[in-house]
Amino acid sequence: MKKIIILAVFFLTCGSLFAQLDNGARLPSVDLKTLDGETFSTKQMTTGEHPFIVSLWATWCMPCREELDAISLVYEDWVEEFGVTLFAVSIDDSRSASKVAPFVRAKGWEYVVLQDVNSDFKRALNVVDVPFLCVFDQYGNLVWSHTSYAQGGEEEVYEVLKKLQNKDKE
Amino acid sequence: MRRIFPILTALLITVLCSSTAWGQSKWGHISGDFGFNGMYYIPDSIIGAKEVKEKVRANTWLNLNYTNSGFTAGLRYEFYSYPLIDFEDIGYKGQGLTHYFLDYKNDFIQVTAGTFYEQFGNGFTLRAYEDRQLGIDNSLLGARIKVTPYKGITLKGVWGIERKNFDFEYTKRHDYVRGLDAELSFSDMIGTLSEKGFVLSVGGSFVSKYEKSEKDMYITLPDNQTGILSADKIPQNIATWAARLNFGYKGFRLESEFAHKINDPNNTNSYIYKNGNSFLLTASYSMKGFGVEASFIRSDNMDFRSQRDISASTSLLSINYIPAVNRQYTYALLANYTYASQPNGQIGVQAQVNYKIPKGSKLGGKYGIDITANYARFHNVEQKLVPDAEANGLMNGTDGYTSRFFAFGNDLLYQDIGIEFSHRFNNKNWKLDLAYNFITYNLTILQGHPSPMFKGHNVMGKVTYKINTKHALKLELHHLYAKEDDGSWLYGLLEYSIAPHWFISVADQWNYGNADKIHRTHYYNIAAAFVIKTTRISLNFGKTKEGILCIGGVCRSVPASYGLGLTVTTSF
Repeated sequence: MKKIIILAVFFLTCGSLFAQLDNGARLPSVDLKTLDGETFSTKQMTTGEHPFIVSLWATWCMPCREELDAISLVYEDWVEEFGVTLFAVSIDDSRSASKVAPFVRAKGWEYVVLQDVNSDFKRALNVVDVPFLCVFDQYGNLVWSHTSYAQGGEEEVYEVLKKLQNKDKE
Repeated sequence: MRRIFPILTALLITVLCSSTAWGQSKWGHISGDFGFNGMYYIPDSIIGAKEVKEKVRANTWLNLNYTNSGFTAGLRYEFYSYPLIDFEDIGYKGQGLTHYFLDYKNDFIQVTAGTFYEQFGNGFTLRAYEDRQLGIDNSLLGARIKVTPYKGITLKGVWGIERKNFDFEYTKRHDYVRGLDAELSFSDMIGTLSEKGFVLSVGGSFVSKYEKSEKDMYITLPDNQTGILSADKIPQNIATWAARLNFGYKGFRLESEFAHKINDPNNTNSYIYKNGNSFLLTASYSMKGFGVEASFIRSDNMDFRSQRDISASTSLLSINYIPAVNRQYTYALLANYTYASQPNGQIGVQAQVNYKIPKGSKLGGKYGIDITANYARFHNVEQKLVPDAEANGLMNGTDGYTSRFFAFGNDLLYQDIGIEFSHRFNNKNWKLDLAYNFITYNLTILQGHPSPMFKGHNVMGKVTYKINTKHALKLELHHLYAKEDDGSWLYGLLEYSIAPHWFISVADQWNYGNADKIHRTHYYNIAAAFVIKTTRISLNFGKTKEGILCIGGVCRSVPASYGLGLTVTTSF
């Protein structure tokens, strides 16, 4: 038991140290699929003009759906204000992958929805659990990321986008 | 333990120094994640939580990735020497460097050496993947090459030895997997096709497993009094192949895959020589506000493992993946009756409709109403024993059985009829979710204990109230009405969240309808979580029912437990 506690403390300390090092991360290059089954390279997300959001989710993940539902209410405003695009990357595997398109289109979400059926992108981003949301600047540099969703959590994303815009103006 | 500390410390120091020094520069970037999942166990005889000698058990891992333009190098150390008891139950116990690789990628080629994950098509012939919560890691140690010679053409080749929990004696292994996959996307190649709204791609894969056969196997054979299946009669090379198609036109899409496996006598199929096959056909149509999807799946004798003597009770050494295509629920009470895919024998259909009563309509209100309805039904496959097997009442070592391709077997495995509504009120701070499901579940076949067919009616209601921009309250009530198995259950959850950092919840699962009065237990759970960016720390105290844990279509049984749990995860 002592060993486990020592180990826990050790990992915790390292964790908080690492958490400070949110710098320099770039968008990993992974091939995803569009809802029509065509290949989409994550490189295509970077336009050099506008920041973008990547949200990892799954049809069976309730908090993920809540987060994307909540953002959908303000998404139009975000697009107008920041020119931002949200890439909603589903990690549904071949069990539920074919349910993603009907689900998303019925919802009427305006996001660019992509599929990562064997979690390659999830691993490349070091994601432990979904929902996991990242904000990248127009050059594909990771600006901010977050896991879990609580009602109202989208406000924080807005703040991050706002800050990024102000930084650009300077 | 003594061995791991110096290694880990050295590793972490190196990484820390390097990432601060190199952080944003051209020297590349270091990222990773780690997790600690520990529990203090308290015995409880009523729910069947056993005494755990060490009291505290934990799963710990650390992933590190180094990237520099096209190069990636990565490693994972897993410390599971005293794992959570459910991991010990499936043999996921030990420690070591379980994942390490070097990868180079550009627009034309990708090469990987070390351990890697890969999937061909739907996974019918090959799926090397991991699910850390389930204790599944079927990575391959070897090499992979992926080439894109022309836009729309993808070729892949893999060679590797599959991971077997914490057994690192790869040099002593006599089994390996090799595979090829090709995909041609005509719509990627021919611009005019996609401009007209067409999507068309075809693919094919070939996967072969080699396993040395040098020893005779001692199994009961019908025609052989010695009970020996001699080594020269056991195939050393087992091949599978699959072909797939994806066609789409505007909102319509058709996907199909067929796979075939040649004779593969193994422990999961009673050492029969019958060939196996899998077939999946999915059609869907979707437009804004409406989506419908239906599929048919058949899978017969398709359990495919690196070693022939592995039992079917875990996913250990699985080379391929046969999905169960029904809808998967995360509702507390239904989760105990989740259908697990049966690669060696299932045939079924499933359909789902998604519809949104439009925003601004009289019924839909300002935000509309989302409706989902679904149906799924799975049977075993028909089995007509071959004469040899019939005469002796035993399939071992024979051709087993024959089966008509589209015939449903006599045993119903699972059925689900469900409907779900989700509505945000005009005052957008209120949201209501309602769901009803009727589940039929074959306990005898799916959980292996002879019992009458389980029939349950589940009703779920959830209200979310956003008090202000940061504070929110969520209330969930579920009722599962059933006569079989453990009878009826009630579940309630109250969660208070303060965005974006805090979550506090209390929940109780009450087995009020258990035929045995002493088992009318409350499985309560109190939890708190703190999230800052990508770090999550959560603490929970309570009881967990013995049951089945399913994630992404794969399930395993979990023992009952009671105690205090701490989970820390972070990505960096």
